[in-house]
Amino acid sequence: MVDFTKLEQEITNSLSKVTDLESLNECRIKYLGKKGEISLLMKELANLSGEDRKKQAEILNTLKNKTLSLIEDKTEELNDRNLNEKLSSETLDVTLPVSSSLGSIHPITQVIEEVVTIFGDLDFYVAEGPEVETDYNNFTALNTSEHHPARQMHDTFYVETQTDNMQNVLRTHTSPVQIRSMLEHKPPIRLIAPGKTFRCDNDQTHSPMFHQVEGLVIDQESNMSHLKGCLEIFLKTFFETDKLKMRFRPSHFPFTEPSAEVDIGYTKKGNQLVIGEGDDWLEILGCGMVHPKVLQNVNIDPNSFQGYAFGMGIERLAMLKYGISDLRTFFECDLRWNKHYGFSPLNFPSLIRDLS
Amino acid sequence: MKFTYSWLKEHLETEHQYSEVVDKLTAIGLEVESVQDTGLAYKDFIVGQVLEEEKHPNADKLKLCKVDIGREKVDVVCGAPNVTKGMKVVYAPVGSVIPVNQMKIKAAKIRGVESYGMMCSEYELGISNEHDGIISLEQDTEVGRSYVESSGMNDILIEIGITPNRQDCLGVLGVARDLAAAGVGKLKNREFKTEKGSFESPIKIEIQDNDICPAFAGSYIKNVKNVASPDWLQKKLKSIGLRPISALVDITNYVMFDQNRPLHVYDADKVKGKIIVRSAQDGESFKALDEKTYDLKKGMCTISDEEKVLGLGGIMGGESTGCNLDTINVLLESALFDDVNTARTGRDLSILSDARYRFERGIDPRSTLEGIHYATQLILEICGGECSEIVLAGQISETLNTIDISGKNIVKRLGLEITDDEIILILNSLGFGAKKSGESIHCTIPSWRQDICGEADISEEIIRIKGYENIPTSNIRAISKVNKDILNSNQKIISKAKHFIASEGYNEFITFSFSDSKKSSFFGEVEKLKIINPISEDLDILRPSLIPNLLTSIKKNTARGIDSLSIFEAGSQYSSTTPEDQINLICGMKYGLSHNKTWRSEKKEFDIFDAKNDLLNVINYLVPGNKKISISDEAPSWYHPGRSGKIILNKKIEIGYFGELHPRIANKFKIKSRVNLFELLIDNIPLNEKKTTNKPQLILSDFQSVTRDFAFILDKNIKSSDLIKAALNVDTKIIKSAEIFDLFEDKSLGDDKKSMAIKVVLQSEEKTLDENDINSLSSKIVEAIEKSTSGTVRS
Repeated sequence: MVDFTKLEQEITNSLSKVTDLESLNECRIKYLGKKGEISLLMKELANLSGEDRKKQAEILNTLKNKTLSLIEDKTEELNDRNLNEKLSSETLDVTLPVSSSLGSIHPITQVIEEVVTIFGDLDFYVAEGPEVETDYNNFTALNTSEHHPARQMHDTFYVETQTDNMQNVLRTHTSPVQIRSMLEHKPPIRLIAPGKTFRCDNDQTHSPMFHQVEGLVIDQESNMSHLKGCLEIFLKTFFETDKLKMRFRPSHFPFTEPSAEVDIGYTKKGNQLVIGEGDDWLEILGCGMVHPKVLQNVNIDPNSFQGYAFGMGIERLAMLKYGISDLRTFFECDLRWNKHYGFSPLNFPSLIRDLS
Repeated sequence: MKFTYSWLKEHLETEHQYSEVVDKLTAIGLEVESVQDTGLAYKDFIVGQVLEEEKHPNADKLKLCKVDIGREKVDVVCGAPNVTKGMKVVYAPVGSVIPVNQMKIKAAKIRGVESYGMMCSEYELGISNEHDGIISLEQDTEVGRSYVESSGMNDILIEIGITPNRQDCLGVLGVARDLAAAGVGKLKNREFKTEKGSFESPIKIEIQDNDICPAFAGSYIKNVKNVASPDWLQKKLKSIGLRPISALVDITNYVMFDQNRPLHVYDADKVKGKIIVRSAQDGESFKALDEKTYDLKKGMCTISDEEKVLGLGGIMGGESTGCNLDTINVLLESALFDDVNTARTGRDLSILSDARYRFERGIDPRSTLEGIHYATQLILEICGGECSEIVLAGQISETLNTIDISGKNIVKRLGLEITDDEIILILNSLGFGAKKSGESIHCTIPSWRQDICGEADISEEIIRIKGYENIPTSNIRAISKVNKDILNSNQKIISKAKHFIASEGYNEFITFSFSDSKKSSFFGEVEKLKIINPISEDLDILRPSLIPNLLTSIKKNTARGIDSLSIFEAGSQYSSTTPEDQINLICGMKYGLSHNKTWRSEKKEFDIFDAKNDLLNVINYLVPGNKKISISDEAPSWYHPGRSGKIILNKKIEIGYFGELHPRIANKFKIKSRVNLFELLIDNIPLNEKKTTNKPQLILSDFQSVTRDFAFILDKNIKSSDLIKAALNVDTKIIKSAEIFDLFEDKSLGDDKKSMAIKVVLQSEEKTLDENDINSLSSKIVEAIEKSTSGTVRS
């Protein structure tokens, strides 16, 4: 009779001494291989009979299963140890630098897209016009006759071509898009027109080229209270604060009557402007009810239709919202500036996700 | 416009604090630009009296003074030659700051003698350039009193911006009138006295052109003594930053700033014969008070005598008849000049003057006579003399314009409920004679409101006084929807393209739409792009291309030490200066290092294939779906002739160029390395108006694919596209792709030869390809390529 207890002891002992997968495999063959000790004992069962055979078979099976389980445990232990050894030899310096390959979107583009997003939600569409304009579209049709004093405030660039015997100009504002759009479409009209504008002025606070966005609404009922409502939604959404304070005060533009300038409340904290707090006022845009003469000039009956218009500087919006202090830096093309103030190309302004 | 609060109060009776008045000014459209406490700089100065004065023991030019300043007596060392015992002076105590140089007064030993404080000159206070002696105050000035209070310098200087329509507020009187209407006080009654005159003016006035000068009033005053203006008048002018000159000139200036009535005085003895108001003749010239000579043109309004031009009507007087301290007899002018003609003349001659500023905005016709009477009185008071009867040439219209407005329309325009009664009340407070007339309101427009001509103008008057803050806020979402896409297809393309290109590593630049004609002739006809009045010589044309300004920016950035630059601009360029000749495009440039040597890669420079890759990617993004893209080597002349290409969409649409900038242009811009760029012709991208959301059907084969590589020795001029085309054409169904994977040139191949290798992927949609199929296709591919390129396969 085989001493199973001894055999089990021996198996347990030899397995516990195993330190690598190779000897473990040798162990496995020694006991469980075709000619292994347990396998041979199993074969010998055939020589037994009756109760003995049954009893011994049971014992052998138990021993076999236990051995298998011990081998499995050992395998896992050895694998673990191997992996740990491998891990400790695979350490990399994760502080080594990597680089980003994304470029950037100019703050002007970003702000225009924000403005379009907000007004788009209010059912405005985007209209455009050329940067070289006729004197008529830029001034006369906008109720600014040749000798109107307001013309002198626009330091106009002139070019050598003419239309109707008048020198063409680089548009001094985006307002001529109003004229083009009203000649092309009948009311109701609800548009914004962002774009480049030009004035012959170049100093710390003026750039010969800058950007504006024009707004125009013409229908049968839009009045000054709608203008106020429209700008309130816009300014609060744009500056991303419901606390925004807004002040309308009378002003003058030849193409609107009544005309208003709009100020927003702000305070200065250190070097930064905080919009929506404080008691100081900052001029942000000009607006008013479209002058009846302008409507007449584009063959719209001012007795049936009315509406409002507004215009604001994109650079100013960008400077206030994003804390850019110098107007001239927008067009200096200093890569360091663009990388600092620019926006991720994957950032599409949205009212569902984020505006900025 | 500038005025002081005390000046305003001469016209406005008000209990309100100045700060409330200031707020109201802005609220009614007279935007306050600055408010300044004029006494602030002098607040520490005290009126003192020199009690004793003796020579400094150690200095010839200095004196030791004992000065009584009320609360005490102090020792002051003084260098002024005019200091005398008993003199009343302006004393700056220790600790005060001298306005002109911001020097802080300290107690000091001057040549061994203690001195406490200083006695000031007008120069030191910043009042005038007088620095020869210290200020000697009137003897009745109270010692110990604050100098600011006793001198009346404790005033508030207010500067307001006047919009072009508010000519009526270019005088203090007009501002007071508007404030009174807005409820912050009452306009004081002005006593208006007419001067009768005791004789007939010896100078007659003739208007030859009533269109340019409807009326001209003259007053001849004899035996005047043109002296320095009295204190009150000098102070007034100085308070708003004007330099007093002489009584005659100061009076005309005062009336202009007080009542918005420009006037002019002529030295009557220098006028030859009568005054003739006429259009200038071409070739005439005239020397104005600013000592410049102007060449006049027909149509300009001149005030002439029988010999010469004396002045430009409504703009500037002339040197020949200017008044000086010896002037004895004068002619005072108060006239009306046409606004448009004044504006045109002023602009053509580039003369800016206070008179022009006012006349081109329109002057209250009724101020013509009021002004001449008032100024004549002032001259008689200050300069003495005797005045003639007032002469009036031309006509001043007595009738006022009227307009009927509807309260309903006002409400409809303003979006504010306001009754007819309130409208009438507001209009009357502004001087509009308004009364109900049936359904409408009948308004008489006051003579000083030259800007009012329609109902819209009246609506502004009403809301200005009612207060813009009272306009309610209405929701705009509910009304008049406009069914139109927010962005049109072209706008969407530009926006998408910008973001895509930026995601390829490019930084968006915005440069001026101008460029330098001297550097831009490579790109277009610069003669057709000239700006008449450029901002500077190197920005003298509209840009014919986006390239030159971006090149300038490359130059600037590399000078700052940046060695890798990926930039793009989306904008317009021009082929002429008519509104129609503007096209939109995007230009991208990659310059310098693609990447520097890093710990895991070698240094690499950008090349044209970076530009090509980026351009093709953006085209594929912008033109989705089936399309045919072909590339030819016919890029425009500003590209390197051997390193550039043109991309054609669907066989006919030129959609973009890429390549290396022509080295000659790089040289011109002093750029040392190769510039790789692309231009995307945005306007040529077909607009997908009938957009389908369905993608083309996808057919995927389940059978195994096989790849085979082939290498060929070819002539150098053979293009990779020829190889690929030949390979693909062998069997368009089974040959899934063909790509170039190796390219090299070597002497062993021959001087004009190169080796190019192509990898072909074969896959059938019907079965697994067997050895025979593959071999047969392979031979066909080799044969086709050899045939079309005259090359030989390498074994």
